[in-house]
Amino acid sequence: MEFLGGLILFLVGFATLAGIASVSTLGLNICWGVTGLFNIGIAGFYAIGAYTSAILTAEPSVPSNPHLGGFELPIPVGWAAAMVLSAAVAWVVGKVCLRLRADYLAIATIGIAEIIRITFRNWSAIAGGSYGIHRIPKPFESWPQPWAEIFFLLLVVAVVAVIYWVIERGINSPWGRVMRAIRENELAAAAAGKDVERMRLQAFVYGSALMGLAGALSAHYLKQFLPEDTEPLTATFLIWVMLIAGGSGNNKGAILGAFVVWGLWTMSEFMTDLLSAEWATRAAYLRVFMIGLLLQVVLQFFSRGIIPEKPPVIGRGEKAEKVEAG
Amino acid sequence: MTLLTAHGMTGGYGGMDILKGVELAVDAGEIVVIVGPNGAGKSTAMKAIFGLVHLREGKVVFDGQEITNAQPERLVRAGLGYVPQERNIFPNLSVHENLEMGAYIRRDDIGPALERVYMLFPPLVEKRKQAAGELSGGQRQMVAFGRALMTDPKVLMLDEPTAGLSPLFMDEIFDRIIAVNETGVGILMVEQNARQALEIADRGYVLATGENRYIDTGSNLLADREVVESFLGGGGGNVDTGNGNGDAGSERDAAAKGAGDD
Amino acid sequence: MIEFFNDYIVAALVLGSIYSLGAIGISMIYAILRFAHFAHGDLLTLGAYMSLGLVQKGFIVFMPLPFLVGTLGLAGEEALAPLRMGWHPALTIPVAMVFTALIAIGIDSLFYRPFRKSQAIIMVIASFGIALMLRSAFQLIWGIDDHYYWPIQPPLESLEPFSISAKHLYIGGAVIVLISATHYLLAYTRTGKAMRAMSDDPDLARITGIPTERIVVWTWIVGAALGAAAGVLLGMDTRVRFDMGWNLLLPMFAAAILGGLGRPYGAIAGGMVIGGLEELSTIVIPGDYKSAVAFAVMVLVLIFRPQGIFKGRML
Repeated sequence: MEFLGGLILFLVGFATLAGIASVSTLGLNICWGVTGLFNIGIAGFYAIGAYTSAILTAEPSVPSNPHLGGFELPIPVGWAAAMVLSAAVAWVVGKVCLRLRADYLAIATIGIAEIIRITFRNWSAIAGGSYGIHRIPKPFESWPQPWAEIFFLLLVVAVVAVIYWVIERGINSPWGRVMRAIRENELAAAAAGKDVERMRLQAFVYGSALMGLAGALSAHYLKQFLPEDTEPLTATFLIWVMLIAGGSGNNKGAILGAFVVWGLWTMSEFMTDLLSAEWATRAAYLRVFMIGLLLQVVLQFFSRGIIPEKPPVIGRGEKAEKVEAG
Repeated sequence: MTLLTAHGMTGGYGGMDILKGVELAVDAGEIVVIVGPNGAGKSTAMKAIFGLVHLREGKVVFDGQEITNAQPERLVRAGLGYVPQERNIFPNLSVHENLEMGAYIRRDDIGPALERVYMLFPPLVEKRKQAAGELSGGQRQMVAFGRALMTDPKVLMLDEPTAGLSPLFMDEIFDRIIAVNETGVGILMVEQNARQALEIADRGYVLATGENRYIDTGSNLLADREVVESFLGGGGGNVDTGNGNGDAGSERDAAAKGAGDD
Repeated sequence: MIEFFNDYIVAALVLGSIYSLGAIGISMIYAILRFAHFAHGDLLTLGAYMSLGLVQKGFIVFMPLPFLVGTLGLAGEEALAPLRMGWHPALTIPVAMVFTALIAIGIDSLFYRPFRKSQAIIMVIASFGIALMLRSAFQLIWGIDDHYYWPIQPPLESLEPFSISAKHLYIGGAVIVLISATHYLLAYTRTGKAMRAMSDDPDLARITGIPTERIVVWTWIVGAALGAAAGVLLGMDTRVRFDMGWNLLLPMFAAAILGGLGRPYGAIAGGMVIGGLEELSTIVIPGDYKSAVAFAVMVLVLIFRPQGIFKGRML
């Protein structure tokens, strides 16, 4: 019975983290999959969202761990603020950088993410330095286990479902079709009179807001947030692998990719846990190596991802015609 | 003897066929000109011969070898040269280095070839060490032309060699083309300045909407009123806007419209 | 005045040279292969670790196992002794360059060549993954500790009052040799000119009959070799660590962009400028934010003069 309890807790925890990751991948999908914007700065927005929500909702700081805030505001306020602040920063970044070509944008977003991370790490007065922020409230935490965990998972599932539904409506709307047109052929879309710059900015902002939300969800799930949690490997790279493996441009794929890759990542952790202590640390690096290799394989052989992209269907209720993939 | 033949060329960019069964031929030492309205597929036909546009049907034979859809390196070695219309020089290399690059595939002494090019284009001698990108339009054309001559090609393909040039330079370029041809190099040329081109041509092909319309000697084509009016623009002057409505553009206008892909 | 030189100029020259050597590779790879090579920093690290292996364990580090077994059988320990001798760091540079170049060519054929005809962004993603693989390989093989070539060197007495130690002389000498060699290659050899030609216009190079795949291989050789050398110099100056090259990626990109992509001499100038600005910036801002300086320069260049100082490619 205890084993079953443990297994349930493990699965719930796994699904929760995979679900939070899918919030990020859905956000990235708006940037990259739908609009073709190459945002490697995921970790930066993740950090902004996490710290914002943490600062607003955590208990006041103690002398051993000074940081700004600890205003103990309600959790939804924290999450909303996380999204708003991430969106605001993304708006500024986007205004400056979006006119750049795809690979310049990549370099720029990496730089920005790095600067954001360094800032948070060094700003002890605001973000608690390398110690981070602790005693962040967690929804349902006063409930008995395993219900606390299960309900948190359900909350995450609900969040993902809402996001998915909103994005799907958006993609199949005129807004979404213009976005796809921009991705396929920017010049043609601009010639057709669409305000390309503004729409790309919108996509960038929405996507980054979601990444901020993912950060906030993480912070509340873990009840603490430290600079290590923004490590680009997991916060950025893994998300990219998830999206590419799942099929970019495709929301179902984004979620599926998150679960599959997170599953592989967790499984590899298991396998390395089985090794002796001396090998265990080394094996951790081996896991990263395998993920990198997985990306190469996916790029070369499954470049459409696990779920290939289907063109959106025109209209609802009318004769459903498939749009040419362009 | 016929050095270059293209037969039934069909293809284009992406899924669209721009060329529909185009035929072309160049005999040794000939000057052959391709003319026609904008969008006729003239440049595309030339690119297709050089393997830059994929032919899904058709056959190109050069000097006895089939070269359909072959790689440029192979074509240059076989003796086929190509001067594109735009971006046809290395701007950050000196004039001399541009010519050296033209001869990259050659392992022998390129001194004689260099001399020939400098004799053909004397203005380039004093600009030898200057970056090619700093030269005037006409001088750049000379560099592009010279670069292609460095491999002693048997047939040289020129895509709108006079595009964007002043009338004075146009005459100079045509003179050079004739001079090169007199050394035995066959010339295949796409030209917007149809009138002048046909005057020096042994043979002319008139293309329209991706198909052959007329094949005849240069002078015969010029003498044919129907050809001149429908495809080359009526009256004295050069090519019109391509609608066949007989408007003669000014020489510079026509040259300016020559830019871009046919 | 002399203090200023000692505190800032020496460091600026060293850092600038390292950036220059790395930026040349990034610049040429961008112009010829048309993508931003995100794994370039890790080529620096690779060079540094190879050099470290030579310094610590001798040439035997490069010998494959079967050969070892064979030699042991024939001649035993004595034959192997010279192979086990540690090398002087400066002498390791050519060897590190050669082997890093070979590995880079291997990486290109396995992981980048399949995408030659694809969108550039795919190659960027692939290179991002390669960067990760290389870094984790470094952690796997050498761990995460810092390694040092030599103990902290005091300034040379003969050069007082300037604060220059032996390592600075090695670094300076190496940089001069490498940049001269690169200049000679690019300006006077057929291959170098072809590289510059492809860097100007890869399509025209193809039309001219230049064997483009071969020049691509040369681009990797030059870019990776210079990067490896930069890594060794960086290791000499500071320390060898698994993320040493990755941390320099942003400034090296900034240097390449500043100089104009595809302009190797521009990359050198850009590297010195970025290095100088970064070191001088520590006068006013905390050292941790040095990368912000390079980033700011890069963004400014991309907005106001995207072709860089020397007018490079913008694609």
